[in-house]
Amino acid sequence: MNLKNNLTVIWAEFKKSVKIWISYPIMLVFWAIAPFMWVLPFIFQGKALVGGLSSNAFKELTGSPHYLPFVLIGAMVSTYIFSGLWGVGNSLREETYWGTLEYIIVSPTNPIVVLLGKTLAEFVYATVNVTMQAIIATIFLGLNLTISKILPVLLIVLLLVIGFYGFAIAFAGFTLLIKEAHGWVHTLEWVFYLFSPIRYPVEISPLTKTLSALIPLTYALVAIRAIILLNKNVLHLQQTILILMIMDIFLLIIGYFTFRYLERKTKQAGTLAQY
Amino acid sequence: MKNFIKKTMHYLRAIWAENMKEWRIELTYKADFIRGMIDPLVYAMPYLLYGIALVGGRTSQTLNNLVGTDDLITFVTLGYIFVGFLNMALWAMGFSLRKEQYWGTLESVFASPVPRWVFALGMALHSTLHQGLMIFLQIIVINLIFKLTISPSGILPSLVVVGLMLIALYGFGMMIASLTLILKQGWLVSEALSGIMMIITPIAYPLAVLPVFLKKAAMFLPTTYGVMTVRHFLIGEQMSFSVGTAFIRLTVLGIFWVGVGVLIFELIDRKTRRTGTIGHY
Repeated sequence: MNLKNNLTVIWAEFKKSVKIWISYPIMLVFWAIAPFMWVLPFIFQGKALVGGLSSNAFKELTGSPHYLPFVLIGAMVSTYIFSGLWGVGNSLREETYWGTLEYIIVSPTNPIVVLLGKTLAEFVYATVNVTMQAIIATIFLGLNLTISKILPVLLIVLLLVIGFYGFAIAFAGFTLLIKEAHGWVHTLEWVFYLFSPIRYPVEISPLTKTLSALIPLTYALVAIRAIILLNKNVLHLQQTILILMIMDIFLLIIGYFTFRYLERKTKQAGTLAQY
Repeated sequence: MKNFIKKTMHYLRAIWAENMKEWRIELTYKADFIRGMIDPLVYAMPYLLYGIALVGGRTSQTLNNLVGTDDLITFVTLGYIFVGFLNMALWAMGFSLRKEQYWGTLESVFASPVPRWVFALGMALHSTLHQGLMIFLQIIVINLIFKLTISPSGILPSLVVVGLMLIALYGFGMMIASLTLILKQGWLVSEALSGIMMIITPIAYPLAVLPVFLKKAAMFLPTTYGVMTVRHFLIGEQMSFSVGTAFIRLTVLGIFWVGVGVLIFELIDRKTRRTGTIGHY
């Protein structure tokens, strides 16, 4: 297939995903609000432990004494990760539920191209959710987001999701092989919650600090918080950007080859249609 | 009398069979079962580590001023146990009928010659045992890492409080379970309710830090009385109500939620059978 045909497939897949979302409008509202419901307990916990919205001990670890924007940023950025994990990583499994997986696999389209369409749709969906979250956080919770900060933050988010979607594509191949991956998605959620600074500064323990260095989300969150909370210029984050770029290249290559290998293995085993 | 005993035994066997069926299914997926056991521990850890990051240790003077205990690790861990009970009602019990639908066995279960509440009690028994095992493991591991300090004399009264609270949660779980029969994709309801109840229930913080309207809402939840009274017995949390009041309110909430749960369960069951939608996916 040539480039034009591939783009047509990506666009068709994108439109299909959008049509499915529009069928469940309540979901969009839910996902715009849900991360705040998960964040509120951390805000009340902070008030109960330090009596206000800032803490000196927290400043020693993160550079900023304000824990509220810390957890808000963690919740918003992690939206991309969890939507990628469920929306891309688990997407072929969903096709199995809908009874359409075989049609996709036997069509003369490279499944990677179909997954690219799903990835694009998931990115747009997550961005709409995060934008709504950012508006709510800015208006009601006092998060200081300015245009000059948004552009560098977007750059970091892009660098984060490019590599992560590579990983999610590999995971999609994994679901072809093992079928029910629900539990594995939850396990990955744990890993991110426990070993990346979504909800707490990982510097608190040498173990979490060391393991978090293997996860791209850690670098992205540290960089985004540095831009928003510490007013750091993106030019001062060259090292983080370089690390994220290297991780992106690595994850994209690994993601592509892992998917192809697992797809081939599933076809050879003849288990594609198995539930 | 003989008939009554025979019937009771028949129901008890059905309850036990429902419980055992769930265990067999879960233990077929061993990796998933083990992951499920570790789940509550991993979800609790960020709350503990976040607390330590905020105060720079495991004690907080502000917490001490609010509830009379400064050990945030024991405070949060005991609170987090109740997330397990909430999950039991909202997810394990709440999704039991939906799961039967997925497996294609709901019609067979409902057509069996036992009342529906027997089936509901079977799923409640399984959920309680499963959750109990998870909580037990969670406490053991957190205790090994952080060394929890509790008053052993408070364990027995705490178990009584948990027992009373569970009755109310069973009613709640029955209501959610039946709602999935009409809502079908009812996970959104469970997710939303779980989020709201996690905020209102004073799990990782005392009731005092909540805004007034949330404090008032918390008074209608059995988990509020459960978590505060258990922490009162085990670590001496100061409460805005007496232990006697907590027991009375838990009993009232138990009667209320079981009544509501059974009523809604019966109404929805009748409606879905009349409209012929029980088998709809």
